[in-house]
Amino acid sequence: MIFWEIFKMAANALRINRMRTILTLLGVIIGVSSVITIISALDGLEQSIRAELEFLGPSTFIVAKMGIIRSDEDFFEALKRKPLKYEYVKAIEEGCDKCVKVAASSSAFDTEIKYRNNKLRNVQVRGSEYNIIDIIDFELGQGRFFTAEEDLTRRHVVFIGTTIQDELFPGVDPIGKSLKINNVKYEVIGIAKKKGSSFNDDADRVVFVPYHTFVKQFGHPRGRMSIFVKANSVEDVPDAMDQVRNVLRARRHVAYEKKDDFGIVTADAVMAVLNDITKFLRMGLVGVSSIALIVGGIIIMNIMMVSVTERTREIGIRKSIGARQKDILMQFLYESLIQSLGGGAIGIAIGVILGKILISLMNFDMTPSVSAIIVGLTISTGVGLFFGIYPAMKAAKMQPVKALSYE
Amino acid sequence: MSLIETKDIWKTYDMGKIQVHALRGISIEINKGDYIAIMGPSGSGKSTLMNLVGCLDTPSKGEYYFTGNRVSQMEEDELATIRNKEIGFVFQTFNLMPRATAFHNVELPLIYNGSSKEDRDEKTRKALAAVDLTDRMMHRPNELSGGQRQRVAIARALVNEPSLILADEPTGNLDTKTGLEIMQLFSRLHKEGNTIIIVTHERDVATYADRILFIRDGQIESDELVSTNEKKINGTII
Ligand SMILES: Nc1ncnc2c1ncn2[C@@H]1O[C@H](COP(=O)(O)OP(=O)(O)O)[C@@H](O)[C@H]1O
Ligand SMILES: [Mg+2]
Repeated sequence: MIFWEIFKMAANALRINRMRTILTLLGVIIGVSSVITIISALDGLEQSIRAELEFLGPSTFIVAKMGIIRSDEDFFEALKRKPLKYEYVKAIEEGCDKCVKVAASSSAFDTEIKYRNNKLRNVQVRGSEYNIIDIIDFELGQGRFFTAEEDLTRRHVVFIGTTIQDELFPGVDPIGKSLKINNVKYEVIGIAKKKGSSFNDDADRVVFVPYHTFVKQFGHPRGRMSIFVKANSVEDVPDAMDQVRNVLRARRHVAYEKKDDFGIVTADAVMAVLNDITKFLRMGLVGVSSIALIVGGIIIMNIMMVSVTERTREIGIRKSIGARQKDILMQFLYESLIQSLGGGAIGIAIGVILGKILISLMNFDMTPSVSAIIVGLTISTGVGLFFGIYPAMKAAKMQPVKALSYE
Repeated sequence: MSLIETKDIWKTYDMGKIQVHALRGISIEINKGDYIAIMGPSGSGKSTLMNLVGCLDTPSKGEYYFTGNRVSQMEEDELATIRNKEIGFVFQTFNLMPRATAFHNVELPLIYNGSSKEDRDEKTRKALAAVDLTDRMMHRPNELSGGQRQRVAIARALVNEPSLILADEPTGNLDTKTGLEIMQLFSRLHKEGNTIIIVTHERDVATYADRILFIRDGQIESDELVSTNEKKINGTII
């Protein structure tokens, strides 16, 4: 009852001192919105990369020479490894009964693709076996993907991403046309469905050529070849990975006590690394924006101090008619809490919007995260209490007679 | 038992190098139903005494009993409760909340003791009616005359039906005619059974009371009863 009445007094005081309230709100809004912008942008980044990795699918993994590198030592050790060999594909197919699809794939980036006068540089050229299209999340848009037959006979056929279509063949149907990859002629036989692009990386800026054709043109891509494997089902992934490891360790004569001399990459493992990176970013950036919050808090404290001083007489009157210390304390604490929570709510809204804009600038998308809202409300309550308590105590501890005679 | 009893109270302000003794050993006794005026030159310690009696402050030395309870050693929050329930203070400068309506100003002491909304409404209206301000209830202080403001302050002092009403130069900021009206109001409140102490330096005002205490240099100089032929009731000499 009395709390509600005191709360109303606090709200009323804020309404009356409108300019001061707006200033305080601004301080909190700037602090909270900068923290929330960063948190939601990082959340969005993570969401998007997670989505991006889903092209691997939950039942897919990649066998590669390097795998996921977590340290310098890993890196130098991995550099010394022997490259993967094409015959492992057959070995895996035979030795892994939990694997349904296995495909060798390799890629080159130092490329130039031409159609008539149009030219594109540094396009990802992926040399893959015919069944890669069943493993990765790239769907057929028009035409067809190449066949096993075309791969083995090293035919010069190419399957292109939509960015290649748009930039190399504006207004032209590419199917049946020939383009040149590093001056070697290929016939376009199919176009992928658009996948959408992401952070610094256009997933549709890619062409697929048959694996053996690729090897013929680019030479044996030492160390670059990786093997894409699709397991029977999600539950079978661990078993499939064990079987693949056994096959490769036997093939590569890895001694019993030695570690694998090859890597296996799953979406989960990439996510783990990504989490490490964003955790680090999060700490750094949240540190920076906490400074903004502290500034907001100091603004609250200063304005509340001014307010307490200006309202000394009011405090004296309240005390003279029987307000206890805690009544005065609550009133001023409510004032700073209303402001910090109000500013916090606005700051969260602004932060989520700014975060979304930031993320879309990086060609990602996001949904507002619950964690940002919880964090925002928690810190603004904390700031309100922490920076509001001192002015409120000062008000509560005033001597009635002195306060009443304040001019 | 007397309502108020002070035993040799001192109030000393420590001003660094020098000590100012605003009160030097005041012993008074006031009973329920008394109407007392305190007079004395400026700086003699009248307000200091009122603040102590009104539990706004505590003495540096000596004992103060209010309704038999020893107030001189009480904590700030106990004093606040006494101020809220037992004492109604009226100031020279009115000390109203400038942004609040007359109604809210009068209601405020009731809010601090946790009275219910219905209770507050009823008592506030009653107090405003007692000072004849029912029709100005929703006005803010700056929309009221000086006399009306002081009547709001008196209503606020009355609203908790206190044992004691203290008024420190209540007519000091008012013209003679309005001052007279306020004094008539106090006389009426006294007749209705209230105990009143009023500070003034005008003899004409003081003679509304039954007894006058003279203070000089923080000490009681004299304590006299107002003679019947000087006594004023409702502005007329009886
Ligand atoms: N807070 C204070 N600090 C120092 N001296 C004070 C304070 N309050 C009052 N005094 C001094 O105490 C004396 C009595 O003051 P006061 O009670 O206000 O007198 P009066 O009300 O009779 O005019 C004066 O000399 C005044 O200067
Ligand atoms: Mg005075």
